Amino acid sequence: MRPPFFFAVALRTPRVPEFSLTMTDSVQKPHSDSLPGDFAIWIFIFAELLVFGVFFLAYAFSRANNVELFNESQVHLDRVAGAVNTVVLLTSSYFVVRAVAAIRTDDSRRCGHWLGAAIAMGGVFLVIKMFEFAAKFSAGISLSTNTFFMFYLSLTFFHFMHVILGMVILAAVLLKARGGGYSAADHTGVETGASYWHMVDLVWLILFPLVYVIH
Amino acid sequence: MTTTPRLRPCTVIWLVLLALTGLTWFIGQKGTTGLGIVSFVLAVTLFKSQMVADHFMGLKHVRPFWRGLVFGYLVVVCSLIGVAYYVSLS
Repeated sequence: MRPPFFFAVALRTPRVPEFSLTMTDSVQKPHSDSLPGDFAIWIFIFAELLVFGVFFLAYAFSRANNVELFNESQVHLDRVAGAVNTVVLLTSSYFVVRAVAAIRTDDSRRCGHWLGAAIAMGGVFLVIKMFEFAAKFSAGISLSTNTFFMFYLSLTFFHFMHVILGMVILAAVLLKARGGGYSAADHTGVETGASYWHMVDLVWLILFPLVYVIH
Repeated sequence: MTTTPRLRPCTVIWLVLLALTGLTWFIGQKGTTGLGIVSFVLAVTLFKSQMVADHFMGLKHVRPFWRGLVFGYLVVVCSLIGVAYYVSLS
């Protein structure tokens, strides 16, 4: 007699992933049912994407009602700093991809090195952003200056906090990796941290053109 | 016999993303604007974001539903930003 469906699902032998789900080399990987890393982080990621999405659209439609104000205010932004920070985050994400590739080959030491480099790039992002914030504050710009700067400061600060959280997560993964806590067969934690970090990068990829470029 | 070093696919993706970021920055610096330019910038943004989702997050290798969910999100957000820009022109 066949067991009811939900028992069948619960009793199913968990499939050990044969391949990492994060891109690492030229091998064509098969489709998998599950997302990389812990599923719980994906609930968090989708919730974060939703919040940022609402934030982006609030900015875009507020701009539609105050085009001149937004265009005049945007001129005061440091577009070079925004572009450099995009490069920094993309590079950091790339380092995380290499970290996942390293742990797939059971190389905890190399994985740790790539994670350390990714965290360092996160630090560079924060320093550049703090210089940007300092320049705005010293020019007398604050949340109450106008609608554009309210959005600019709150959106970028909200993202700034996510970068810090991402760095904390990567640091925790790094410590465990250095202690030999991950292997080629068991590296869900590395993929979990990597997925969150890529989300932080993905959000910035929309934020940069929206706030710094489109006018 | 010499062997040509091959770039990893993820390295190629990273370099493409950097090049597209440079293009977006250049458009911003040039100061050109209009519905066509903004649509192009948003299309580049959508493409870049999907590349990160597919190749860095690894969604290309999971059930298509998850990839579709992220793609749907990106299409909705980028399209509505475009709609808001169009509204601002009128």
